[in-house]
Amino acid sequence: MPTSSAATPSLDKVFTAEVRQHTDPIVARYETKRASILEVLRFLMEKHGYVTLAMEEATARYLEISPMDVREVVTFYTLFYTKPLAKTRFNVCRTLACSLLGAPKIIRYLEKKLNIKPGQMTPDGAFALNTVECLGACEMAPMMQVNDCEFAGHLTEEKIDALLAKVQKRS
Amino acid sequence: MEKLISKYFVPGKTFWMEECLQDGGYAAAKSVFEKLDAAGTIEEVKKSNLRGLGGAGFPTGMKWSFVPQNTGKPVYLVVNADEGEPGTFKDRYVIAHCPHLLLEGIIIAAYANNVHKAFIYIRGEYVEPYKILKKAMEEAYAKGFLGSKVFGRDFALELVLHRGAGAYICGEETGLLESLEGKKGFPRLKPPFPAVVGLFGCPTVINNVETLAYLPFIFQRGAEWFAKLGSEKNGGMRLFSVSGHVKKPGVYELPLGIPLREIIYTHAGGIRGDRKLKAVVPGGLSAAIFTADEIDVDMDFDQLRAKQTMAGSAGVMVFDETTDMVEALLVTMRFYAHESCGQCSPCREGTGWVDRILTRIGMGGGLERDVDNLLDICSFMGGTTICALADGAAMPLRSYLQKFRSEFEAYIRDKKRVGGEDLETHGGSAVKRGEGASATL
Amino acid sequence: MSTVKLTIDGKEVEVPKGTRVIEAAKKVDSDIPFYCYHPGLSIAGNCRMCLVEVEKMPKLQIACHMEARDGMVVRTKTPVVQETRKHILEFLLINHPVDCPVCDQAGECWLQDYYMRYGTHDSRLNENKVKKKKAVPLGPTVMLDQERCILCSRCVRFTDEISKTQELGIINRGDHSEVDVFPGKELNNPYSGNVVDICPVGALTDRDFRFKMRVWYLKTQATLCNGCSRGCNIEMQYGDQRPHHAKGDRVMRLKPRYNEQINQWWMCDEGRYGYKFHDHNRILNPMHRSEGKVEEKSWEQILPEAAKLIESAKGQFGVFVSPQLSNEEIFLIDKLFRKHLQNKQIFLISPTPDGFQDDFLIRADKNPNSKGAEWQNFRYQERTAADFFTACGKGQMQGAIIFGQDLLTLHGAHLAQPALQKLKWSLFIGSNHNLTSEFATHVLPSATYAEKEGTFTNFEGRTQKFNQVLDPLGDARPEWQILATLANGLGLSMKYDRTSEIFKELAEHVPPLKGLNYAKLAAEHDSVRRFAAPMVPSLMQDEGLIFQTTPETHPTQTTPSPA
Repeated sequence: MPTSSAATPSLDKVFTAEVRQHTDPIVARYETKRASILEVLRFLMEKHGYVTLAMEEATARYLEISPMDVREVVTFYTLFYTKPLAKTRFNVCRTLACSLLGAPKIIRYLEKKLNIKPGQMTPDGAFALNTVECLGACEMAPMMQVNDCEFAGHLTEEKIDALLAKVQKRS
Repeated sequence: MEKLISKYFVPGKTFWMEECLQDGGYAAAKSVFEKLDAAGTIEEVKKSNLRGLGGAGFPTGMKWSFVPQNTGKPVYLVVNADEGEPGTFKDRYVIAHCPHLLLEGIIIAAYANNVHKAFIYIRGEYVEPYKILKKAMEEAYAKGFLGSKVFGRDFALELVLHRGAGAYICGEETGLLESLEGKKGFPRLKPPFPAVVGLFGCPTVINNVETLAYLPFIFQRGAEWFAKLGSEKNGGMRLFSVSGHVKKPGVYELPLGIPLREIIYTHAGGIRGDRKLKAVVPGGLSAAIFTADEIDVDMDFDQLRAKQTMAGSAGVMVFDETTDMVEALLVTMRFYAHESCGQCSPCREGTGWVDRILTRIGMGGGLERDVDNLLDICSFMGGTTICALADGAAMPLRSYLQKFRSEFEAYIRDKKRVGGEDLETHGGSAVKRGEGASATL
Repeated sequence: MSTVKLTIDGKEVEVPKGTRVIEAAKKVDSDIPFYCYHPGLSIAGNCRMCLVEVEKMPKLQIACHMEARDGMVVRTKTPVVQETRKHILEFLLINHPVDCPVCDQAGECWLQDYYMRYGTHDSRLNENKVKKKKAVPLGPTVMLDQERCILCSRCVRFTDEISKTQELGIINRGDHSEVDVFPGKELNNPYSGNVVDICPVGALTDRDFRFKMRVWYLKTQATLCNGCSRGCNIEMQYGDQRPHHAKGDRVMRLKPRYNEQINQWWMCDEGRYGYKFHDHNRILNPMHRSEGKVEEKSWEQILPEAAKLIESAKGQFGVFVSPQLSNEEIFLIDKLFRKHLQNKQIFLISPTPDGFQDDFLIRADKNPNSKGAEWQNFRYQERTAADFFTACGKGQMQGAIIFGQDLLTLHGAHLAQPALQKLKWSLFIGSNHNLTSEFATHVLPSATYAEKEGTFTNFEGRTQKFNQVLDPLGDARPEWQILATLANGLGLSMKYDRTSEIFKELAEHVPPLKGLNYAKLAAEHDSVRRFAAPMVPSLMQDEGLIFQTTPETHPTQTTPSPA
């Protein structure tokens, strides 16, 4: 029997005045409040790293839709993380062009170097490895997206080594 | 061959407003405002034989003429920058290198359809292109090319940049509309069609990035000129995204109707290592595949349709003789299973089922009846669904099985296992990113 | 209203413009199968089961969405359509767990029924099925099994469009889609039970009915709900073949019955789950109570005694009319007590205080026949029980005839008890035990409304007949029979064999009912059941498969009930 959720945080705890300075103008751009949900959730996610259930409920109230409307969106789209993120995330493409140009080898190499499987995070939270579908960069296959931002293409084991070294140096 | 859009594809460079204006940017749009009315603009586009370059190939002028202007509701323009069809990356180039070309096209399209508010739906993974487009929009607003008085005239055009969140189905036009309205990207039942009932229940025009980016050229150099560049009823040039086992993968701007052989060997440099060609996907993942002896075909919408495939998004993926067709199909069908929105039963269950069968075959567990079963399944995945995703899954499935049947039979007979993909870890469609769940078969 | 003419399976049919093909097809008995379509909900078009051939269109079209047009030619039984249906069913069964032996839906499951009719293929599946959550209590009334779900979205559309509570949604995508509630929240609204009705499979099942009885042992009877003054039409489903099951309870569950004007396809949870009183806590035999001792009596003993007490009281007794009584019974009370015995202490007392009301089905007045009582000039507030108790206190009253109300609880024992204690006798006529029945001197067991027939008039003035479903339990008798016997013993001849005779007479005296009789009521009733979506008709009966059930025993056969 589902228990009632822990103290539902008030709308204002998630949508603080500072947050609303950003999100209110976003909402205003659309004909309905609901239409702004992808951008609003993205803002919250980029601010906090991931989307919690409390944020989902607060967003529902902020946009005057039901919590289930928000939940459906968060679970449908792949870009919404619902768990804390690793510091460095490798999303390696596994669709056709990349697959034919060596993505499986790259993935296995990363598995070996990081000692995790796709879908996992290293215990220290430093790295996460995911396989994703086509990122629209087939001319640089095999490729991956790093930290949901830059595209790194024409990957080779050497390039991976160099990238990992750069990340280690930064930290 | 003259370069129109691809002239601007200089590695690492974006043509910002200043340089763009020096090059004659926005002049075509201005001339449209000065010399034509909305109906006249639509007529010109009809004459140009411009086809929808996102994949469907619908004549753009005709699509615009379906929009009712007397409903009392605002007309919206939605720019489809979701570019999800695997093998396609040309819109990314347009946005990253010459965003103002797109913006100019948007302004022309808005004028033609009496649109005063437009949305650009860009896929959420395109982070760098998004930043570039955002800046270009700010430049255009600053110059008065967007806003309450476009070109100083009594014509308002508000443009909203909106990011998707990772769903191929949001590239489908009604899935896009649902997503833009803040819901899951579930395609809608048609009729009504978006031209009549679209965004927020209002008449809506949806156009691909590249389609819009060609509009300035049509109005700069003339509709007839544009039409003549291409083939019969397929006007102009288009950006072919070439990838796979070619020496020079990249975007190639070539006329509609160019022979496929020429794309591969003349422009993309031929097969890497000078190996033999084995197969070609001519129009994005959803297009039926060609064998090596089928590449003497002209790449336009009508001719490819006649060959039981499609021009689609012009995503040309080239396979050489080292390609394992079973693995290639497995990767293909895994994509559809992962991207199916799940709304209707043939696609939801069919894509998942096919994915699992192929995974089993790829792990050495194939059964004699599998190929015939797969062919039967795809006959009923196609033509029975709400949108064309399932049709797009059925097309490659059927063509691979028909044209490369012996490879599948060999796998089954010899209990072969796929060499490249690690199916244990990342086979199957189940992985939702970041959730820590490992794939299920 | 403009109409269109189209041809379906070679038969011409004329329908109003805008009618969908699936509805038009009902007029020519073309059974187009469907899951996600429901006439009371928006069109989803996702199951693809209703695909049919439409001439001049290259692809099959879904009948639930396709609008009928003039000259359209539709074919629902061609080989292509049949093959397609078979494959759609196959798709739906790919991940469906074969839970039939442990699933409550068995026997009324649309997957089973359509499979027997359109599928009957051997499984080609050699893969694992997708695993999801099973036996998840979504709330107090509904159990969810995500694996069984075919994602037709009827339940989601219900909570969006009808209950407007939006608890349900479909999360994830592809074949990992799941119906669910928001984590930590539950499906809890006054209409939650309806999602079980509309779920075509065993994904949403009723917790109250869970594992109680296999549906092929259920019989069904059309009747009304007595839970409030709305008068929702229902089916009462009962079992009497397996007394060792369900602890001998007869009524197993209630289902709504379509009525265009009153409740459409729905009923509230309060009405749906308020049936236990037919089988629990019943008064089974007449009883006499004196000096703390309770003695069982027979009707032959107790009724003459009661008549004598009433006669000798010479009008110094109260009659507590209940708005739970039928129009026929209220009419007999009027004839006997008001007209014949000229009694002036007649009170209309509701057994329940007013409760929750909403702007959908639920009414604050929790009685089925307040309006019927009003039409016969019995009104609340004209005189209250308090008046009676005062009179009792002054020693002015000898007795009371109570039709089931628990006066001691309603008015507080401190007020009612001393008053009633002053009476020489109290005659309790009711179906279930309560504080007052444990107090009265004479207790007469009455039938519940399921054990008799009659009419109720709802708050809008619609008079509807309710039907007898069960035999009275124990020695209980319908109130109208008790009243008629009493009347005969009090010098007023009442020779009624059935309530239809009473109704014919009362229709003469109650202006809004003038000229009506049971047959006319039935005809009017049928007219509001047009275009109801039929449940999947029983295949067992047509094809004599497996169970040789008779029409009455198979629930889907008796009434073409909407799904």
